[in-house]
Amino acid sequence: MTDVLSKTEEIVKKAKTLGADEVVAKTTYGKYRQVRFSNNQVDISVAWNDYSTDVALAWKKRFVATQIHSFDDADASIKQLLKLAKISEENPTFGGFAQGSFHYAKSKADKKLENLESPAEYVFEAIEAAEKEAGCRVESGGILFTKFEDVYIASSEGPIGVDSRSAIELSIRAFSEREASGHGVECCSNLKDFKPARAGAKAGEIAKQARSPRIGDEGVYDVIFDPLILGSLLGVWGGMASAYSVLVQQSIFVNKLGTRVAPDVVTLKDNPAAYSMSNRAFDDEGFPTKENTFIDHGVFKTYLHNASTAKMFKTKTTGNAGLVYPTPWNIEMDDGDASRDELFKEVRRGLYLTNTWYTRFQNSAKGDFSTIPRDGIFMIGKGEVKQSLKDLRISDNVLAMLGNIAAVSKERQHVHWWGFEADLPSLAPYVLIKNVHITKSK
Amino acid sequence: MDEEIVDFALECARSRKIEYAEVRAHSQVQDGLMLRNGVVEAVVSAVDSGFCVRIIADGGIGFASTNKWTKEEAKDVAGMAFKYANSANRREKLVFAEEKGAKTKWAVDQKKKIEDVSLEERISALAEVNRALASSKVKIAATTSSCATNLITKYFVNSEGSRISSYVPRIGAYVFITVAEQGKTEQAYEQFGYSGGWEAFSKWKIPEKMVHDAKVLRDVITKAKAVKPGNMDLVCGSEVAGIAAHESCGHPMEADRILGREMSQAGRSFIYKGGQYWIGTRIGSKAVTVVDDPTVESSYGYYMYDDEGVRAKRRFLYKEGVINEFLHNRESAAKLDTKSNGSSRSVNYDREAIVRMANTFVLPGEFTEEELIEDVKYGVYMKSFTEWNIDDKRFNQRYVGREAYLIENGELKHPVARPVIETTTLKFWTAVDAVSRKVEFDAATCGKGDPEQGVPVYTGGPCLRLRRVFVK
Repeated sequence: MTDVLSKTEEIVKKAKTLGADEVVAKTTYGKYRQVRFSNNQVDISVAWNDYSTDVALAWKKRFVATQIHSFDDADASIKQLLKLAKISEENPTFGGFAQGSFHYAKSKADKKLENLESPAEYVFEAIEAAEKEAGCRVESGGILFTKFEDVYIASSEGPIGVDSRSAIELSIRAFSEREASGHGVECCSNLKDFKPARAGAKAGEIAKQARSPRIGDEGVYDVIFDPLILGSLLGVWGGMASAYSVLVQQSIFVNKLGTRVAPDVVTLKDNPAAYSMSNRAFDDEGFPTKENTFIDHGVFKTYLHNASTAKMFKTKTTGNAGLVYPTPWNIEMDDGDASRDELFKEVRRGLYLTNTWYTRFQNSAKGDFSTIPRDGIFMIGKGEVKQSLKDLRISDNVLAMLGNIAAVSKERQHVHWWGFEADLPSLAPYVLIKNVHITKSK
Repeated sequence: MDEEIVDFALECARSRKIEYAEVRAHSQVQDGLMLRNGVVEAVVSAVDSGFCVRIIADGGIGFASTNKWTKEEAKDVAGMAFKYANSANRREKLVFAEEKGAKTKWAVDQKKKIEDVSLEERISALAEVNRALASSKVKIAATTSSCATNLITKYFVNSEGSRISSYVPRIGAYVFITVAEQGKTEQAYEQFGYSGGWEAFSKWKIPEKMVHDAKVLRDVITKAKAVKPGNMDLVCGSEVAGIAAHESCGHPMEADRILGREMSQAGRSFIYKGGQYWIGTRIGSKAVTVVDDPTVESSYGYYMYDDEGVRAKRRFLYKEGVINEFLHNRESAAKLDTKSNGSSRSVNYDREAIVRMANTFVLPGEFTEEELIEDVKYGVYMKSFTEWNIDDKRFNQRYVGREAYLIENGELKHPVARPVIETTTLKFWTAVDAVSRKVEFDAATCGKGDPEQGVPVYTGGPCLRLRRVFVK
């Protein structure tokens, strides 16, 4: 372990010797395992071993970066990188990497996730739970994924450290009929808290309720969002809190610092805490990660920064540095006062949505978008789940939806699934959003 | 890339009790450049190189990859793939559709070699976009632009005697602009892609295209009117026709999706055995023939052999409006008792090859664009789109116009603000009554797989005329 850190430090020293002003190097030894399944059978089991060192350096405000896969190639790569820096152009807004010496939180990564024995057993446990809950044969598909990373960081600006990061995820979608499905996820940073049957049972329960759907009607509805669908939306909203998104006008939060964007009941944080699949002690500049509240009781408080964007916005880094841009790690919505059941009781005529995909914007600065709910879509009548529906689309505006959040549940779930749709993990409650615009095909 | 280690990994795999084994090595020399408002934000340069072993044993598939090029690692990775294949414990044993081993080398030529283009030249070419926008007199609130080149070398061997080497240089660019006028904003992006050399960059005419987009967005803010919702004719420009072909023809015809292998991620298809739609079912008008074709020269999705070593060819997905041929890899083809049509692609050594599109488009018809419009009494010409999406069975889709005009008595009138067509695959393709003879392609990145794999593709195609569809 110390050998890898020494080699990572050597890269930094080498780059400095060659003339770089600032250098940060991050080595990751990652072991990733995945079992993919569909139609209740394992399709493929996959193992990736990945060894890489990300290097970012600046020379006279020219920012360049590379990835090295073998320490044997380091010298040549650094020389080439410096060469590129010297023929690149100055970025006047480059503000340097995070400076200082830090003590990092001790990693709580679970060594058991480094090489899990018999991972397929967890898959079958989830499939069985889905069938049991549905009370009939269901066709299930999904993945079991494990991650174990040893991460070493060294920076010419002071930070130096070692971290281990682990995660396990089971994602299962169960079909009780061709057009009746439910989706459940179980996401953790350690094996002890991992209960795959929970995900299976949730998928099975929704799949059962979703039977015999009819095409829903267009209109304006009060909608209860399940943690899984809210997690997808939180990922989008969290991405828009990055200072980079704001700089390039791909955020509804442009010019929103200090202004109200949601009711009091809404508090959103970025927090790569120990429980999260994105757990980490430091960001890609070596700055310690922390909890950052970006919407506090409805008021927009801060963008998520690396050292450079922080300087532009005359503030401090929030520990969100990626290799090039600031990025969120894990979005949390604070819990509310109501129970899940109380939320449902508040709805006289509305919808309960359990999942979504394909969220796309007309204009990400204005927030006009649509997304397509999938899996269970239900009519709520007088506080109870009634008819199963299908073929509906949310066609609305992010700021309007944030402003219409009426209630948040006490119950929350750590959610993450497929990278194209909910790549950013989150801790999501059930929420009730009023006056959501729903459309359908004509 | 050390071919000896690849061959050694195959030998390690073959020494086990296997039904099939392959080793695929993949090396990418990647150079990227990112600009914000015309200023260089970052230059990224890296070489990524590794290999994977895929094994079928006891009817299960195991896959393991590494980027450590040692024989010891090759042995470990082969052992891991074998172990994982055996752990599948499948009721229905997996096999691959029969295929003859191929021994060949193929490469894409470059007229102007990417390796010879300096960073200064790349920066200057990309920054030209901002210089052009600055002189356009349109108020630009922000731009981001990027250019990436990728020199891809692959070496594929399998237990059936295949030995295929390939080299594909690819170049891509992306520009996103925000126009701000009268306190309002509109946004647009363009993606460009090509298999070949740097000669593509000037052909794309990115500055002219972005200035055009900027003016269109300004007009959307200052001149456009909403269309009165109702049934009307809709002329789709090649960009809109292309996204529709990709989303509601290409994706639902992927056999792995039809068989449920993507059920939890990208979803299933409205086409399935025992359902309303299958091969031979009508899904559109006779004017509609949609192909997927990896052999379009210099296209972003070009390849000569797929990532299972199967020769590429044009696939007729919808033929004269009838569902005709699915996209297959060897696994899906075996399940449906047919042969692979070379649709197996992977983005890198650490991803399994799965069923993918290459370049998907409607075959051209007989009309000029003007003729399509001339014959419309009242309707909308949706030349390009902004927001779009489709459900995971690929039946309910929505396209929102970016550049769009009202058509009255065969003439283009004022710009229309964000017209929307939200309809089904059946209604969309059944409504097509005429197709233009001119074809224009667009580059895109198609997403699928878990972990996600974004593969380069062409969309685009000819213009289409749809009769009596609901536009709002």
